[in-house]
Amino acid sequence: MTGEAFEERFVDADGFRLRYVEAGRGPPLVCLHGGGGLRLAPAHDLLAKNHRVIAFEMPGFGASPENRRSASTEDLGRSMNAAVAALALERYSIMGTSFGSKVALWMAIERPEAVESIVLISPAAIREQQGPVPTHVAPEEAAKLLYAHPERQPKSPPPPRELVAKHAALTSRLLGPGRDAPFEARLAKLPHPVLALFGTADRVTPPEGAHLFREILPHCHIVLVYDAAHAIDADRPEALASVVGDFLARQDRFLVRETSGLIHP
Amino acid sequence: MKVSFFSSVFYLAQAPGGWPAASTGYSPQDARRSMLTALEQFRLADEVGFDWVTVAEHHYGPMGLTPNPMVFAGALTQVVKRARIALLGPNVPILNPVRVAEEFAMLDTLTDGRLIAGMMRGTPNEYVTYNTNPSESRAIFEEAVVLIRRAWTETQPFGWEGRHFQFRSISIWPRPVQQPHPPIFISGSSPESAAFAARNHISLGLAVTTVPQAAKSVALYREAAREAGWTPQPDNILYRLSFHVADSDGQARADLDDSARLPQRMSPVLANPALEAAVAATGYYGSDLTKQRARVLLSHGVDERIAAGQILIGSAETVQSQIRDIADKLGAGVLDLVPAFQSGEPTFRSIRLFGEKVRPHLRHL
Repeated sequence: MTGEAFEERFVDADGFRLRYVEAGRGPPLVCLHGGGGLRLAPAHDLLAKNHRVIAFEMPGFGASPENRRSASTEDLGRSMNAAVAALALERYSIMGTSFGSKVALWMAIERPEAVESIVLISPAAIREQQGPVPTHVAPEEAAKLLYAHPERQPKSPPPPRELVAKHAALTSRLLGPGRDAPFEARLAKLPHPVLALFGTADRVTPPEGAHLFREILPHCHIVLVYDAAHAIDADRPEALASVVGDFLARQDRFLVRETSGLIHP
Repeated sequence: MKVSFFSSVFYLAQAPGGWPAASTGYSPQDARRSMLTALEQFRLADEVGFDWVTVAEHHYGPMGLTPNPMVFAGALTQVVKRARIALLGPNVPILNPVRVAEEFAMLDTLTDGRLIAGMMRGTPNEYVTYNTNPSESRAIFEEAVVLIRRAWTETQPFGWEGRHFQFRSISIWPRPVQQPHPPIFISGSSPESAAFAARNHISLGLAVTTVPQAAKSVALYREAAREAGWTPQPDNILYRLSFHVADSDGQARADLDDSARLPQRMSPVLANPALEAAVAATGYYGSDLTKQRARVLLSHGVDERIAAGQILIGSAETVQSQIRDIADKLGAGVLDLVPAFQSGEPTFRSIRLFGEKVRPHLRHL
């Protein structure tokens, strides 16, 4: 079962009570979900083999009370930094998905010294044009936006309509414009190595917008994941875990192949 | 209607049969003469008004001396001054797709945007060439096509995490001249290929087939394109067949009879039936396996081949009416024409007659 190894816990930070799930040992990897809320995928299980994976549910998502306090992703980033501090993590990497990518980048802007490297999955932080949003469409259409092969995903009932509406309202209020000059000015000074993953079949954050991340972030690598839509962690979990794992272990050096091509000694 | 002159640059001397062919008795002089003859025919085709010229990829035998059609096309850029240069291969599942994207971009630059970029799966035997599993060839092919297109259009260096390909940094130079990229043709003989082409707005090439079978593929392609929200134009459909034009029908038939004593272009698929059967067993062919195998293994007499739309033969007037018949049934906007045989002067004359006496009557088709 996906996410079986993960244990549910809670932490109090910045006036919020935050749910998170955790599994694995190794260098800490803080995960921030997309606009659909916390959803563990096979990629999380694979990453937990070599990392201490901590996946938060951000305030206002899931069963948590409605969040009217956070005024922006910058605000939310401050709250999430407080949550990470409350867990006594000193140095960690951050993986932000879609909506969560912008929160992840604000966390790194605010506390650069604590962050090792940054991974962005189908990031919505910088957008050339607004694509369709899974929480704004009917469940069947949402599945087609999330998955390149919806028929290969485990059958599960669609999330309750009120929950989807709550998430949609919160992310619409917080995400901000596709091009955000003050935010981009801060990104231009970010010292961390960044890996940004885009699915070749993604219409929500299409790979055509990937170049912006490399143009704006000073140390950004783009990797296109073939035959994945918006939910790369579910469409191509092995591919995601492999490239993210290699990047977290070796940062910029991940460009150079280390595995052997030898067939027989 | 457009016409392309295709030569597989076959070895114009006696050669051992089978595939792969041994090189016992191989003559470098004959190989060079074969290449120079092909270059001369391409030059003539360009001069007499063929719209395109076509080269392909074949390995390990006398059937084609262009295992890398990119190299031959490089030579063609200095010979063919006006026509577009179509490459139908490369056989992308057995190649490095990034290299294919780079070489295509070089050719598009050298021709100032006259490249047609075919991407083929290759004949079944080609999977032995570089030790590729034929059963994976369709998946590899589809991924390679998507990757090549991305390598042409992406402006920032990017990595690729595929099922069959993994690259950590791609940023090709030179870039294609044609924007967003050169026209892509794939072979669409199976329903799967026709559907893939339609989904990806890619043009369709049909070879080693008959007009009735090709018409079925075209119908599938049009239907899948409609579902994908676009309408293929005649220029999106290419049909390959052989041709020989002479001053009269009788002369054309006499030339054909004479050619029987000359080295023939032998299909590598027919050259090793055991290997073809092993490839078929891997699931290389699509869902219409039987039909596709019949297609690649077919071999008929000349009258049957005329009726099936596999050969144009006769005087300029006769060939015009044969073409009109094909155009009506198929709606293909590009005919890819391969000489029915290589017999020196009659073949050169056929190219000239086609260009001067047939092609001017095709404009309205």
